[in-house]
Amino acid sequence: MKTLTLFASLYMALCYLFIFLPVVVLVLFSFQAGNLPVPPLKGLSLRWYLAVFHDARLMGGFGHSLVVGVVSSALSVLLGFLAAYGLARYDMPGKRFIRGIIMLPMAVSYLLVGMGLLVSASALGAAPGLPTVIIGHVVMNMPLAFAICLAQLGEHQRRIEYAARDLGAGTLRVLLTITAPMIAPTLIAAFCMCFTLSWDEFLIAFLNTRFDVTLPVVIWGLLRGGLTPETNAAGALIFLISIGLMLAVEILLLRKRRA
Amino acid sequence: MARLGFTPRRFYGIGASGFALLLGLATPAAAQGTLNVLTWCDHEDPTLLQPFETANDVKVNFKDIGSTADALAILGQSKPGDWDAIVMDETDTGRLEGMGLLAPLNKADYPFATIPSQLQDPSLTSVNGSLYSVPEKFGYNTLAYNKANVDPAAMQDINAPWQPQYKSRVAVYDYYVPEIQYAALALGLNPETISDADLPKIKAKLEALKANAAMVGDVTSTQQALTTGAVDILVGGGEWVTAGIAKDQPNLDFTIPKQGGIRWQQGLAVFANSNRKPMAVKFIQYILSPEGQARLATSACYWGMPASTAAALTPDQKEILRWKDQPDYLKASYTYLKMTPEMDKKLQALWAQVMQGK
Amino acid sequence: MNRSAWGGVGFTLPALLWILLFFIGPVLLMVAASLHPLTAAGVPSPQWGLGAYRAFFSQPAYVQALIDSVVTTIVVTVLSTVISYPFAWSIACVVPARWQRLALIMAILPFWTSYVVRSYAWLLAISPVGLVNKALLALHLIHRPLMLAYNPHATELGFVHFFLMLNTLTIYASLKQINPRYELAARDLGASSWRAFFGITLPLSMPGVATGAFLTIVLTIGDYVTPQILGGFRQLLLPQLIMMQIQRQLDLASASAMSLILTAIVALAYLGLQRWLRLSRL
Repeated sequence: MKTLTLFASLYMALCYLFIFLPVVVLVLFSFQAGNLPVPPLKGLSLRWYLAVFHDARLMGGFGHSLVVGVVSSALSVLLGFLAAYGLARYDMPGKRFIRGIIMLPMAVSYLLVGMGLLVSASALGAAPGLPTVIIGHVVMNMPLAFAICLAQLGEHQRRIEYAARDLGAGTLRVLLTITAPMIAPTLIAAFCMCFTLSWDEFLIAFLNTRFDVTLPVVIWGLLRGGLTPETNAAGALIFLISIGLMLAVEILLLRKRRA
Repeated sequence: MARLGFTPRRFYGIGASGFALLLGLATPAAAQGTLNVLTWCDHEDPTLLQPFETANDVKVNFKDIGSTADALAILGQSKPGDWDAIVMDETDTGRLEGMGLLAPLNKADYPFATIPSQLQDPSLTSVNGSLYSVPEKFGYNTLAYNKANVDPAAMQDINAPWQPQYKSRVAVYDYYVPEIQYAALALGLNPETISDADLPKIKAKLEALKANAAMVGDVTSTQQALTTGAVDILVGGGEWVTAGIAKDQPNLDFTIPKQGGIRWQQGLAVFANSNRKPMAVKFIQYILSPEGQARLATSACYWGMPASTAAALTPDQKEILRWKDQPDYLKASYTYLKMTPEMDKKLQALWAQVMQGK
Repeated sequence: MNRSAWGGVGFTLPALLWILLFFIGPVLLMVAASLHPLTAAGVPSPQWGLGAYRAFFSQPAYVQALIDSVVTTIVVTVLSTVISYPFAWSIACVVPARWQRLALIMAILPFWTSYVVRSYAWLLAISPVGLVNKALLALHLIHRPLMLAYNPHATELGFVHFFLMLNTLTIYASLKQINPRYELAARDLGASSWRAFFGITLPLSMPGVATGAFLTIVLTIGDYVTPQILGGFRQLLLPQLIMMQIQRQLDLASASAMSLILTAIVALAYLGLQRWLRLSRL
């Protein structure tokens, strides 16, 4: 057993090394004092972070991504939660089928969703833009929110809902004042998950925007424009924000488990 | 009650304040005019655009293109009037005008006296005597190389990248027009008059080039390959890949081989169905002004020679761009092909086949 | 239907409509678009026809792209599963319980770097003057920098890195759901630890393996960014070809046809892995 533990530790160390290598390179060279994000490191500096904050395109993309992320995640969680509630609390025929339809987008690539919206917009003569991206992100993320909510709507809440009903509360009132707040940590966790996926999504946004583009599309443009540590700095900042959100999820879920 | 996540009031309070914050973010800034430009990445530099945007209270929207074919594809997906101006390979002026896309321009509006004669050749800028496009920036698709690793004298031969000694040390710029013309020139053909009969030979030549190359890539990846030492030679490279990073990478250089080279040249044109023609004309005038020319020549995406000799560049910048060599370079270089849509299709297909080949 | 059933329908309807309107509808439109191939003049033909599909399968270069895409996907799926299984197993069965959550979070942390930036970071790492080459040179394992970037293997490397994290997560989740008593029982009955592993643990963790593999297939075969940044155009994969149809040729019919061919392959993978898949349990 000792040798096994040794081998396992060694193997894990190698895996962690592999997993963290690009992140280390990315973050390290975001502090590059020189003009190119490759060795040698010509001293440490924060100039590229300043450059990111002064870059109107990056900041514009950041704003758009924030709007797309928040709106699409809110819609995803709302629709996903309602659907999960319907399936968890009501008996109806074709439950499996309904669940299959809602989960369907999880089994296809972003490319198909993005292409579908592009072809539809062009058939309808609609101009490309952020609303299309929001629609696409809800298609991709709602199944996830739905699955997370469905897993959390257990028997425990059902008993409290019945109690509220016995006290004369209507369906909507129970849903809004009992069920939703009760699984709020789950809803917020689902929201954060959807948000990190949405604000980092590239293909749907790339295919369906023209001028108002999201952050990943701006960064894609930045990559085309040449090598600069500014790209590293932008990437490092995005990483930091996503990690912050995931930590929030972790804390929410942990708190719930302890409670 | 511990299992109750949040109290209802707190839950909805958080939701509402989040939404209010978002509404604040989403509220658009003060309304202003816009100008929609199809352009190569060099016009997207804020240092270039901001002075114009501030002076005219206009927002310049742009969409990145990497060839005239890209631009045509975007136009095909747009409504008439969506676009106001285009930055294109100037050799495509006749083709776009033939499709009825371009608006005639008034020559007196632009500083043609400061533009060298080769650049303002009417076959590039005009159709039937009327002006449709204004030259703004040019440079070369020849050989860029790392002089620490290859002998500059050997780069004087256009066939250098085919030599076995550079196997896997060569990168190829992914733009079919100049690469096909470069291969034609290496075969001893006139690259401005490629015909159908030449295509099989050119294809074989390019396949041999690809076999000797380590990679094919766009502006960034080829530049990166050269700067990181992944390759020593970039076919199709020029000042646009070496000049912008000259300070950090003094070993990168470019040359025009003795057989000649291919010259790229960007022109600015206004769309016939633009609703903002006066602003588009102002934009061209700004780009052609000495300050605009200097900023464009040294823009973040890639450097290049300004079309106007009045460009307000520093002596250092002129040195990096080889300002004083230009008269000779202009003589030794050929323009891009003036293409028909059929020829363009054939060349794209040829390039795709070369790319796909093993 | 009784009243309660109608209530359930009411709650699920918005989600169903959204999927129907914005996913199934557009995909059907794509099918229609792919059946109106472009004419010589570059406009969609008014007649229905299989021209776009026929054109695809008669072009050796396109078929090659399809084959390359499938091969890349298989290589990536196999590699990331094989590498991540021992990793997930080590976290689940060797790391002490109180450190497991941290170990897992660390294993998937780089998941949250920006998707576009991640490939770019690899490019910097494996360039001839990058960290990898510098380290190998310092260790005297090589004498000259290796040309690691801009080839199909660089694409695979980028993919494997991402899916190593994803598969570790799904396999770990599935390993933790196995009741440890099963394995103990097998050992009590005299099975060697290897037999207990192959007889009990491995089969019971198949849902995690299959779910991870399926997500790997879906996301690899439809990805444009990774091969575009790391691949160096020595081979084109199907999504790159699709983007070329959209960006250079304005041929939505061909682009639609190719996307649907790609989806058909994903559907085949789904059928193959279906019996183990637990997509809703992610």
